[in-house]
Amino acid sequence: MEKQLDLLQGTLDMLILKAISLSPLHGYGILLRIQQISKERLEIQQGSLYPALYRLEHHGWISSEWGESENNRRARYYRLTAAGKRQLQSETERWNQMSAVISGILRATPEEL
Amino acid sequence: MSVWTRFRSWTAATLRSSRMEREMDEEMRFHIEAHAADLVKRGLTHQEALRQARLEFGGIETAKGDCREAVGVSFLETLLQDVRHGIRAMIRTPAFTAVAIIVLALGIGANTAIFSVVDAVLLRPLAYRDSGRLVTILMDGNGPVSPANYIDWRDQSKSLTSMGAADYWSPNLTGVDSPEHVAGLKVTQNLFPMLGIEPMLGRLFVEGEDKDGADREAILSYRLWQRRFSSDPNVLGRPIVLDGNAYLVVGVMPQAFHFPPFWATKSELWVPNALGARIHNRGGNSLRIFARMKDGVSLKQARAEIASITGRLEQQYPGTNRDVVVTPLKEKVVGPIETPLLVLLGAVAFVLLITCANVAHMLLARAATRQKEVAVRAALGARRGRIIRQFLTESILLGALGGAAGLLLAVVATRALIALSPENIPRVQTVSIDLRAALFLFSATILTSVGFGLAPALQASAVNVNDTLKEGGRGSCDGLRRNRLRSLLVVSEFALALMLLVGAGLMIRTFAALEAVDPGFNPHNVVSMIVSVAGSKEAEAGHRAIFYRQLIERVRSLPGVQAAGGINHLPLAGDLWGWRFAIEGRPKPRPGESPHAVYRMVTPGYFDALRLPLVRGRDVTEADNETAPGVVIINQRAAGEYWPGEDPIGRRICLDDDTTDPSSWVTIVGIAKNAKQDSWTDDATPEVYLAALQNRDFMGDSGSETSEHMTYITLVARTAGDSAAVASAMKEAAWSFDRNLAISQVVTMDGVVAEANAQPRFEMLLLTIFAAVAMVLATVGIYGVISYSASRRTHEIGVRMSLGASRSDVLLLVMRQGMWLVLAGSVTGIAGALVLSRLMAKLLYGVQPTDPTTFSVVALALGAVAFVAGYVPARRAMRIDPMAALRYE
Repeated sequence: MEKQLDLLQGTLDMLILKAISLSPLHGYGILLRIQQISKERLEIQQGSLYPALYRLEHHGWISSEWGESENNRRARYYRLTAAGKRQLQSETERWNQMSAVISGILRATPEEL
Repeated sequence: MSVWTRFRSWTAATLRSSRMEREMDEEMRFHIEAHAADLVKRGLTHQEALRQARLEFGGIETAKGDCREAVGVSFLETLLQDVRHGIRAMIRTPAFTAVAIIVLALGIGANTAIFSVVDAVLLRPLAYRDSGRLVTILMDGNGPVSPANYIDWRDQSKSLTSMGAADYWSPNLTGVDSPEHVAGLKVTQNLFPMLGIEPMLGRLFVEGEDKDGADREAILSYRLWQRRFSSDPNVLGRPIVLDGNAYLVVGVMPQAFHFPPFWATKSELWVPNALGARIHNRGGNSLRIFARMKDGVSLKQARAEIASITGRLEQQYPGTNRDVVVTPLKEKVVGPIETPLLVLLGAVAFVLLITCANVAHMLLARAATRQKEVAVRAALGARRGRIIRQFLTESILLGALGGAAGLLLAVVATRALIALSPENIPRVQTVSIDLRAALFLFSATILTSVGFGLAPALQASAVNVNDTLKEGGRGSCDGLRRNRLRSLLVVSEFALALMLLVGAGLMIRTFAALEAVDPGFNPHNVVSMIVSVAGSKEAEAGHRAIFYRQLIERVRSLPGVQAAGGINHLPLAGDLWGWRFAIEGRPKPRPGESPHAVYRMVTPGYFDALRLPLVRGRDVTEADNETAPGVVIINQRAAGEYWPGEDPIGRRICLDDDTTDPSSWVTIVGIAKNAKQDSWTDDATPEVYLAALQNRDFMGDSGSETSEHMTYITLVARTAGDSAAVASAMKEAAWSFDRNLAISQVVTMDGVVAEANAQPRFEMLLLTIFAAVAMVLATVGIYGVISYSASRRTHEIGVRMSLGASRSDVLLLVMRQGMWLVLAGSVTGIAGALVLSRLMAKLLYGVQPTDPTTFSVVALALGAVAFVAGYVPARRAMRIDPMAALRYE
């Protein structure tokens, strides 16, 4: 197993939004989904997941309702709202631009200057 | 643990939704258990899996705390936080807080007080059952009608369910410890049932009681019952003597009952009105008619029906049914006071607007000093809405304190208003700060708070975090926008103050014009009283003339009395009786077109006592007695109207419908100067003064119906000094003839004149107070703006001065800005006043609503005050030491 990477500051929200944009999930499900997509290369503080969820819900980007889990237990499911969809889109764009710029800078060689 | 911390933790625990706590708990437990279940699948024991899951989850309590924080605290908790913050801010700036609260209390309190008056007087329905359907039917909407007309209207009308009539009657109440002249009414039996008011004790009049002979029953008002019968519950069935006749008390009305609500409003006693033979009288107008419209009948329909009935009657009896007007009772009662009260309400609302502008102003200035605080909060993540909310909470807190202080003020002010208000304002005694007034106060407070708080909140929250924090507290955001808002506030404050000052100025001029009115006589040092002989031995025919002569003689001999006489009705204070008359040698006029005059009856000495000059001819004298030929004095107006270009002296007139009796003809012997009659502002109408001592009605030996209303004389005495002392000596003089004589309405003529002008004085007083408050607030506003902007520009001024600007340049620089605002405010204010002053035209006398003098004096005065208010801070700016100013950061 490769060494896990610490999550970059401020990116957890984006990942949560992305995770539940695929289908509604409960908190534990979100954790599993992110780990699954990232092939378990990201280290997520499980406890920090919930404040992030509450914050996103408070902003109106996600909404929650109680449903039944795969094991027939009561679980709280989160889904993306329309505002959340827009937020995810703009954050994705911002991220892409940022990473392009940063990787461009990092790729720079003396010849290019 | 301090009390405060304990309180805080308690509120936090209570307020924070327990539901959220429960759900958070459940959600995290689910997470851990689901994780554990997965670990079990990978081969861990249940115990080990749970331990591992918990470990990986991390601190549950920390997570929960972070969740709570993420969601933010609850609405109420935020509110508490803001209130706390607001209170701290208020305590930190006590002077600011005190001034703001005082200003707000003034605005809110004054508005509440005026509202409570408007509400009680104008808005509430009259205190009778379904009072909106009650109407009055009067000649010209004002004067009484004749019994025969009343009977015809009553019998022919289909749109009115019932119609009652009332006659003014003020008998002497005797048979109780001291005689008293009581104001009362003779009412038809159906009148009280029509009002729908039940008596507090006993019963109302029953059918048949308004027939002759069965009419000796009386209903007392609560006040009379209290005052003269010591609230005796066994008063029913008790005999009382009114004008020498025995009446039985059959009922006492409730305390809140007042009738009639207009004219004769001091009535305290009601007896049945036996019309008797008068039902055929179509000429003697004495009845006021009250009626109730049938359900479903509109005022328009009722008016149309009465118009058609009176139209028919007019054809049948020409000159008797013209100008009959149906008026809703409430309109009749509050109509005359409506405009003045609405003007006052508008004026006081302006004061509130100025108050708002002023406090908004102060808050803006304070917001500027709080920019750094706001910037820090914004940098720490407070969103704009949150900051606006906090500022508004502070405003409302300030407003609430102002409102609370305003409530106290309103209670005091309402009492003062009732005490100051002229007597002719109906229902003013019912004014109080009640639930409706409190509701008004509450809404005014909230609206005011948002009104003055919103602009500063919006502006303060729109802070540029980076700039402000970099500027190190001086703040460069004090840019155009903020200044524009502040300027707008000053301009509107100024405009409003100017409009109020114009209103006050117009009222002051009105009052001056009223003071300058010549009543025709000299009202200073004149005292008068009504001596009623009804029910006494002096009333008897043959005795009365002797008594009157002796009484006046005795008054004349009192020390301090310079002249004395008697009259039936005092001008401005008494009744006004009119009669038609015939002029000798002229053709008999068509019905309804006879010469008409106010007639009074005077004894020798009356004109001297009042210093009412005779312009021609002679006064009535002792020689004009019962045996001498009848004489009369007319006023200038009558001379001009009926004898234009002729000399009326020596001409004869007849005031009797029957002109065949030679004894009813009287000769004009003098012309008196026009004197005010019943209104201070109306010009005199034709008037005749009969010699009282030769009038058989007045002396009680005619046996006519008219003489029943003439059982009293108004004594008038001119005094050298203190008229109060003379008044009591005059009373004693009358009582030395007979202890049973009722004496009433002891007044000075100065008092009568003051009463006649009480309403304009009241309006002037209130408008002047409002305008003064407005002017002070506007002045404070302009001072604030200039001194604030001067202090913000200290640095700039320093630069200018070091670059060679002279002190006067600086003065000009600072003043110019302020004076532009004043100019803009004045122009707006004058424009507004030109439009609005028209609305108060009804209140004015002797001055136009657009009076140029008032406008220019007000504008100049306000401008001068503003100049001084601006000059003081500008001068301070001028004295700035450039070196110090440049260092000032």
